[in-house]
Amino acid sequence: MAHKRLKFLGVAAAVLMVAMACGGSPSGGGGTKQYKIGLVTDIGGLNDKSFNHLAYVGLEKAKSDFGIVDSVTESHSGNDYVPNLTSFASKNYDLVIGVGFLMQEAVGTVSGTFPNIHFAIIDGAGTDSTGKDLQHTNVQSLFFKEQDAGAMVGVISGMLEKQGKAKKNKGVISAVGGVSIPPVNHYIAGYKWAATMEDPGIKVEVGYSNDFTDPAKCQGVAKGQINDGSDILFQVAGGCGLGVLQAAGQAGLYSIGVDADQKAADPSVIASALKKVDVATYTAIQNVVKGQFKSGALTFSIANDGAGYAVDNLTLPADIQAELKTVQDKIKAGTLTPPADIP
Amino acid sequence: MTAVTDILHLLFTANLWQATLAAAVLLLLPALGGVISERSGVVNIAMEGMMLTGAFFGVVADLAWHNPLAATGVAMLAGALMATVHAVVSIQFRADQIVSGIAINIFAAGLTVFLVNRIYGLQDVGHVGQSELIPYINVPGLDQIPFLGKVLFQQNVIVYAALIILVLTHVVLFRTRLGLRIRAVGEHPQAADTAGINVFAIRYGAVITSGLLSGLSGAFLAIGISNTFVPNMTDGRGYIALAAMIFGKWTPGGAFIACLIFGLGQAIYDNNSIIHVSPYLLSMLPYLLTLIVLAGVVGRSTPPAADGLPYVPGSE
Amino acid sequence: MPLGSVLLAFVVDGLLVGVTGGNPFAAYGALLCGGFGFICTQGENPVLQISNTIVFVIPLITTGVAVALPFRAGLFNIGAEGQLLAGAIACTAIGIKFSSLPSPILLPMVLIGGMVAGALWAGVAGVLKATIGAHEVVTTIMMNYVAQWFLRYLIVGGPLQLAPGTSKSSPIGAGARLATVLPNDNTLIIFGLPSSVYRVHTGLLIALAAAAIFAFLLWRTSLGYEIRAVGQSQKAARYAGVSVRRTIIVTMLIAGAFSGLAGATEIAGVDHNLTDKYFSDSTGFDAIAVALLGLGSGVGIVLAAILFGALHAGGSVMQADANISGNLVFILQALILFSIAANFVGAIRQRIPGLARPPTALPPEMPPAAPMMTEAAVPPVES
Repeated sequence: MAHKRLKFLGVAAAVLMVAMACGGSPSGGGGTKQYKIGLVTDIGGLNDKSFNHLAYVGLEKAKSDFGIVDSVTESHSGNDYVPNLTSFASKNYDLVIGVGFLMQEAVGTVSGTFPNIHFAIIDGAGTDSTGKDLQHTNVQSLFFKEQDAGAMVGVISGMLEKQGKAKKNKGVISAVGGVSIPPVNHYIAGYKWAATMEDPGIKVEVGYSNDFTDPAKCQGVAKGQINDGSDILFQVAGGCGLGVLQAAGQAGLYSIGVDADQKAADPSVIASALKKVDVATYTAIQNVVKGQFKSGALTFSIANDGAGYAVDNLTLPADIQAELKTVQDKIKAGTLTPPADIP
Repeated sequence: MTAVTDILHLLFTANLWQATLAAAVLLLLPALGGVISERSGVVNIAMEGMMLTGAFFGVVADLAWHNPLAATGVAMLAGALMATVHAVVSIQFRADQIVSGIAINIFAAGLTVFLVNRIYGLQDVGHVGQSELIPYINVPGLDQIPFLGKVLFQQNVIVYAALIILVLTHVVLFRTRLGLRIRAVGEHPQAADTAGINVFAIRYGAVITSGLLSGLSGAFLAIGISNTFVPNMTDGRGYIALAAMIFGKWTPGGAFIACLIFGLGQAIYDNNSIIHVSPYLLSMLPYLLTLIVLAGVVGRSTPPAADGLPYVPGSE
Repeated sequence: MPLGSVLLAFVVDGLLVGVTGGNPFAAYGALLCGGFGFICTQGENPVLQISNTIVFVIPLITTGVAVALPFRAGLFNIGAEGQLLAGAIACTAIGIKFSSLPSPILLPMVLIGGMVAGALWAGVAGVLKATIGAHEVVTTIMMNYVAQWFLRYLIVGGPLQLAPGTSKSSPIGAGARLATVLPNDNTLIIFGLPSSVYRVHTGLLIALAAAAIFAFLLWRTSLGYEIRAVGQSQKAARYAGVSVRRTIIVTMLIAGAFSGLAGATEIAGVDHNLTDKYFSDSTGFDAIAVALLGLGSGVGIVLAAILFGALHAGGSVMQADANISGNLVFILQALILFSIAANFVGAIRQRIPGLARPPTALPPEMPPAAPMMTEAAVPPVES
């Protein structure tokens, strides 16, 4: 009994000391503010194998680097965006991050209600109901030049095809988009532009599955393209697009992953176009923690390492590697500008 | 006009029909499950949930054991487990079978995502390796037949299995004593009971079979067609299978034809890059078609007489 | 009975949280805070939480009625979602087309427009059921899909699309909007927060009126009598001189009107335009649980809608505060449905001798399970 009581006293004393240290610290370590960061996913949820997941990765990294308090809410329907964002804002979070294009209007509304709370939105801006950017001074838009990443993998496809180093070499490559929306089309635009630059005679077929979650649908579209002679398939459809990689693998062709490095998804994946949503999320948090929050657009591109590419299950010939470096440097320098709209 | 000629051109390609058959099989398996279940008198709209559960546990098992055959077995068992819940609730507790079906579908959608989070954390579910998927096999010799070879004999193992199951279901339902019993229980359980048939056992068996088949379809989706689990990846297929079952007037052959029509719609839709119609309007077609069929264009479709009615021993 | 079912579902769900390594008490605490504003530990504003819940509750009441009314006639309306979408589409189209009209004219126009569209959507199922015997479960599921794809077509590349690359319509006119209860003002501070966060709108009154009309219709009118008669036994109803065919069609039309109204109030009260959020809306499906739990009484539906609205709103807070996936809420919802449908509580009671009551498989007010094959499946012969 006595032993137990002693133990309790010890614990109590320890707690008391910690409390005193925290509460009454006159200077030094205890004085640093703990930042509170809230992340709201769109309806894809955290396991979307796409940008919601990457945003979470960025949040976790920021958590271990800056010791922030983080909290995540998944939205189950579009009805949840406003209440979820409002909830964090009403609790005086230091930064509320909305993930995805779909949340633009909600971020526009809630950021207007809470002018003193900082917001960041991935792939969009805080807009009104007509889609006009409200330009609230407390909103940072995290945009990506997906076309930069698309261009890099376009270079790989175009050169492989021109040099006859792909599988069928009929001069046809393709892309499968989820839905025809700007972030998807940027990727495809860069891809088509760069492939055509490397191999002017190439045909780039573009199809849409109108879905982001059902791999079977994307696989169907991919198979249609394969039947049309496509040699290298670029997926731009999140979880649905995994079916594209699979279809390419079954047909013994090459495929290209999107957003994250999808090397492990299928042996057919020769490269991935990277959209570093994790870097963007991390940067946004870092800015707030360092007191450097800025409103307006922050664009992630090859130039600031917010977009890029990964070479996966294929060793590229030296000349392709050299060309990749040249193109990358030119895009960084601004002498080459991949288009945002599909040419 | 271009749309019409485009579609006509497409209809003469073997690739289209190969894709049609694969898409049809995804629907056929749960539809056959539905036929068996409803023939025994238990309404089953839970194929969607059983499929999703099967897809999820198929991936979990394949990631753990690297054995697609075993994983397929697990997927079927998972589907069957869900079906058992439906059976207990609707046969034993005589609950409303439609409510129970809806509950299963909501339950499966919630449970799978919840378990993804719990088992794999908020990270990626992971990809099953290429060699660990249900294989595609070309039937030697037959696959060289022009047109038909590509359509029928260059397919996934599950497609062949499904076609065999289709024939088996038809034979069992209409050519065996067991089939007679199943249909008797679905049409007139009191009479069947009097004749010494165990109504409960038949119904349990039929519902659980529907779970096995739906789970198999889920495995095809998750570790045959794709190689990972994506939340809600079944995307309403269980409901379309339900439509196919009714479209096919509760017969295996009819359901198969309906699945082919839906599969064809999907396959044409997948090739939408050359069709100049709004893909969304195109997507409405299978559902409108079902409504037209239901409206009696191809004759009335009548369910088994005791479909949906819980059996209370000794009543009437 | 329903209370016991809900409790049982909570217990099973809590076990699931516990088994998978979570803390069920923390989860339910956060759920309670998110849904009702009770015992919030992480700084949530209780009034905001209640307000959020009410916003979810409004369409649940109206669609709940749309499922409950046909249920009384032995019809299973799984199409509330499609009818809701039809109502939302009509409301938006009218609200845009006549955006310059003043509120006293335009607001009734958009609401009635939504009701008519919803009624027509449900009417298809009603007519097919009454004339050919096509089962309404299947036809309404099909109509749901048709509505969802039609909506996508309209706002992605179709006539209602705001601008290329967007997936929304333009906003409805100011006259077509329902007012919020508290002023939509960012500078006015009420209960510690800008008053515009409280999104409760006057559609709440419409929803409550819908529940009242439902109760009145069912118990105080001859149509209500006919609906209940058809639900009890079509054969008996026919002997009593009730036109089963007409009753089925009228019931579905009214139900569709309620769902359509729910869609219209969502547009007029919350969103003011059609957006991609309607691709993922599930109100019409949640309404099934509301109707079953509400036992088909007006008050019951309102209470059930409050429960499910609170679950919806609470799920988010549960994830943010207790780090338990909000998907738990769906599992809970399914368990409640199972529990009510199967009446586990009643069964358990019967096993325990002291608690045994006379066997009640179904509460007396509830129609027998809507069977797949009702007499209506064979077209009723009427003169």
